[in-house]
Amino acid sequence: MRRAGDQCWGRWFTEYVSVRFPKKEELKALKVADSKTLTEAEREKLFQNLDEAKSYVGWAVNILSPNVISTCMLQRTKYNLNTLSHDTAIGLVQYALDNGVQLKEVFVDTVGPADKYEAKLSQLFPGIEVTVRPKADSLFPIVSAASICAKVARDRVVKGWNFAEDLGNVDADYGSGYPNDPKTKAWLLKYLDPVFGYPQFVRFSWSTAQTLMDSKAVTVHWDDEEEDGEKAAQRKNNRSMLSYFSASAGGNDQTPTHQTHRFFTERRLKSLDTL
Amino acid sequence: MEIQNLFVSDFLIDFGHKEPAITVFKRRRRPIQPITHRDWRKPEIIEFASLFTARMSCNSSVTRVHVSSVGQTPRVPVHLMPCEIEHNGPAQVSQYLTATMKDRKYEKTVSFRGRGLKGQELSCPQGYTGLVLKEINKTGSDQEDRTVKVSSVFDKVTYWNLETAPNSDDTIVMAMDWPELAEAIHGPVDD
Repeated sequence: MRRAGDQCWGRWFTEYVSVRFPKKEELKALKVADSKTLTEAEREKLFQNLDEAKSYVGWAVNILSPNVISTCMLQRTKYNLNTLSHDTAIGLVQYALDNGVQLKEVFVDTVGPADKYEAKLSQLFPGIEVTVRPKADSLFPIVSAASICAKVARDRVVKGWNFAEDLGNVDADYGSGYPNDPKTKAWLLKYLDPVFGYPQFVRFSWSTAQTLMDSKAVTVHWDDEEEDGEKAAQRKNNRSMLSYFSASAGGNDQTPTHQTHRFFTERRLKSLDTL
Repeated sequence: MEIQNLFVSDFLIDFGHKEPAITVFKRRRRPIQPITHRDWRKPEIIEFASLFTARMSCNSSVTRVHVSSVGQTPRVPVHLMPCEIEHNGPAQVSQYLTATMKDRKYEKTVSFRGRGLKGQELSCPQGYTGLVLKEINKTGSDQEDRTVKVSSVFDKVTYWNLETAPNSDDTIVMAMDWPELAEAIHGPVDD
């Protein structure tokens, strides 16, 4: 099991490859290797081989779109990438079981501490021998194979990305998606909207996108954001606690005789004497 | 033509966020009557009594609201966002927001700046029209007179919560209780 890439539109897929029959030697013969050491063309070639070896290799990927990842990571109750990745992997193992795959062993590339992750999976799936290792894709051919499926699937989805936004013909020359790719950089600058930021194609939780929006898009304040108390109060035109200590406390803008009823404040209804 | 009568029986919704324009709800289908018996110094709610020009004053300055063109004003989709956007001007709402909105059974979903929003469409109270007001020739000084015009009107508003499903405790849903209550309190008494 292996997840793909850290690009701005990356990290979408957790995937598994199951070997229907224990033909590990044959898998070695397919010469799968760590997908990072392969070119895109090589990956495509190996993927073809894997796909043709249907008699003993099956695969599935779980697609997490950048939008799903953004909204999870930026959620009010934080849901971090590691947990998201774990849950997706667990979902895939369950998917295999539900589809009648008789799983004996599961090999997983780790996300976070390997031993904890291994214990978590072993506990969830008693009877399956779980092996979680860092860099598992270079240790086990089965994980290398999974890595290839994931990357190829991602490359294809990215290439043929269907923008949900109504943006006309979007320049498809967005490069690799890694922050140091000049094509990616140029694309991110070109498609930055001052209000909306980016299309859902871009992962908003990705620090490169955040940095660009911080400098080039308008600021958006959310209620659940931690913000300097005094500044927030100023912005909302409220009085901060500190103002009660200053000499002018209870200035003329307050009308002490007239207090708005809770009915109105709860509904944010305000009397209108000026616009 | 300028009518100076305003009467106190209606409401303005302060959305609590900076809006591209000020949004008020205007009462219609009710006989326009100059009201004199209310206390003008503390108007709780103001209705624009005139179909031509409403006027309100605060200290020495006067704010004029032109409502004459409501009939021809375009109806627009209006979104109430659960965040404050430091922007006052046009935005590509249909391209980014409307195009990616999903209709579920009990709610609509969309994402804004990578955050998940859930919302629903809400109709203006019966007999009311929502107005989007825009200030003409903004002066910046609160001593001078100001003029605002109706830039668009709406019958429905789509409001969004951050991650929470829309429910009857939402501020804007509760705010819509007011017209009925106001009618009961301030409306004419039948014999």
